[in-house]
Amino acid sequence: MKQFDARRLRKTVLEMAYTGSTAHVACAFSLVEILAVLYRSHLRLGDGPGWPERDYLVLSKGHGVMAQYACLCELGWLSEGDVGRYFADGTRLKGLSDAHVPGLEVSSGSLGHGLSVGVGLALAAVRRGSGQRVFAVVGDGEINEGAIWESLLFAAHFRLSNLMVIVDANGYQAMGRTCEVIDLGQIVDKFTAFGLETREVDGHDEQALDRTFGALARHPSRRPTAVIAHTVKGKGVSFMEDDNRWHYTRLTQETYAAALAELSAEQGPGLNAIECGVA
Amino acid sequence: MRNAFSRALVEAALADERIVLLTGDHGYSLFDEFRRVCPDRYLNAGVAEQNMVGVAAGLAKGGMRPWVYGLAAFVPLRVLEQIKIDICYEGLPVVLVGDGAGVVYSTLGASHQATEDVAALRALPEIGILSPADAHEMTACAGLCACATGPVYLRMGKSDLGDVHSRTPALYWGRWCELRTGDGPLAWIATGSMVTTALALAGQWPGSEVWSAPCLKPIDAAAVRQACEKHQAVIVLEEHSIHGGLGSAVAEVACDSAPTFVCRVGIRNRFSRFCGSYAYLMREHQLDVESIAAQVRDFVAPLHDQTGGHLFRKTITTKKAA
Repeated sequence: MKQFDARRLRKTVLEMAYTGSTAHVACAFSLVEILAVLYRSHLRLGDGPGWPERDYLVLSKGHGVMAQYACLCELGWLSEGDVGRYFADGTRLKGLSDAHVPGLEVSSGSLGHGLSVGVGLALAAVRRGSGQRVFAVVGDGEINEGAIWESLLFAAHFRLSNLMVIVDANGYQAMGRTCEVIDLGQIVDKFTAFGLETREVDGHDEQALDRTFGALARHPSRRPTAVIAHTVKGKGVSFMEDDNRWHYTRLTQETYAAALAELSAEQGPGLNAIECGVA
Repeated sequence: MRNAFSRALVEAALADERIVLLTGDHGYSLFDEFRRVCPDRYLNAGVAEQNMVGVAAGLAKGGMRPWVYGLAAFVPLRVLEQIKIDICYEGLPVVLVGDGAGVVYSTLGASHQATEDVAALRALPEIGILSPADAHEMTACAGLCACATGPVYLRMGKSDLGDVHSRTPALYWGRWCELRTGDGPLAWIATGSMVTTALALAGQWPGSEVWSAPCLKPIDAAAVRQACEKHQAVIVLEEHSIHGGLGSAVAEVACDSAPTFVCRVGIRNRFSRFCGSYAYLMREHQLDVESIAAQVRDFVAPLHDQTGGHLFRKTITTKKAA
């Protein structure tokens, strides 16, 4: 089976969520393909999380951290024990991204922090001439934060073409649909107006994501780039998809078993492999 | 003091090419020399302090040594959470410079006055806090900033009050400067702009001991214990709230290990009501020499022994036994 298989990543997330009896399952499920494609084909990670020349994956949307943990498991940077003892007393993996964990670059979850730090990492890389790139993943709910727009202005002004901002646009935030809480309008227009070379893509179509990331990496403009990835919150499990209760709801034995059955089925509903033909 | 800061920053930047300066569109004329000497290391982040501090964290993670300049009302106050999460949580080597601390912007009102900055930062792990009293202490403090391996807040208050030292003192983290020794009843501990005031007041109480406290975190606990044990009362002066600043820090040490009477002189849990000159506003807050002298007289009056007329030592040991 290929590395960073979306279905396997979701199963790891599911296992962690059940083990830790944690919320935010749906937040992690929406960005699985985004992270899978980045880790599989675009991030230069060298010989490990401490490699000084690595590209940075900045998870500003800290609430999706279980999806990143699942990728770090694939890399062997986290152990089975880390997953199997999620949230046990005295363990190191928290429910939001935390820079003390090797492989996580920033502490975010208090939203709007990670992108600024990512911009600083991008600027440091430019000044050193290191060729490192920064991929910063933000949520569409997160971009309510004013600091996000401060960061975009700064990144465009300083022409940080080694920065790519990826919006996991699942259409929801904590208390409801983004269009009902604080309507963002057309995110792509706003990012374009802020000076970023911006594309829109189906955030669960791995081939489309791969093409878009690649095209933007080769783009000749000396500007930061952005991808508005349209996603489905809770993607991959039929009864979680587009249902914001799974921002909060803990898995029971029954819902865990039902979700696991869907993710384990040869051709279950809502599976990325079927839709984009990359299984 | 501002010239000393400018010079020290330029010297530090010439010695360490990792140093970059970020400003939130502040510091008119303060960085002329820096911009002339190392123009590519001057970054105006615009009127966007939250992002500026996050960017500084990223630069530090990427191997740079950022100095972040702002007015103390904005750095640290407006960006406290960025300082906590982006910088302190990882213990990153970022120097935060808060200019105009206290009521320096006496005509601009509450938005530009910063009398709670030390209190806010003192509760954050990892960060050190410096508060120089004159140009000499500023030079020494900037030297500590340049060598720091973790976050530092450099508090720059009223800067034209004259010199306390005749030359640059040797400063160390957690060590204060004893400016006057004495065996009288009072010890004075002051920081920043209030050190000259402490020296002026000490003359009214013969035998006073006077300390300048350029390092507010960690504080010089040994100096506090010495002052508490040797004198009958300790008077602490700061252009900052009496809640959470130097006075509180001294009281904490006294309370833990050297109980004595501690008189905290500072801003008394309120905003400035009016505007006017700096001197006027200091009078409004009762932080001028005459007002403080009256406060100290009131404070020590009940401590007088009824027969001898001398200050007596609080009999803590007896209380404990009871």
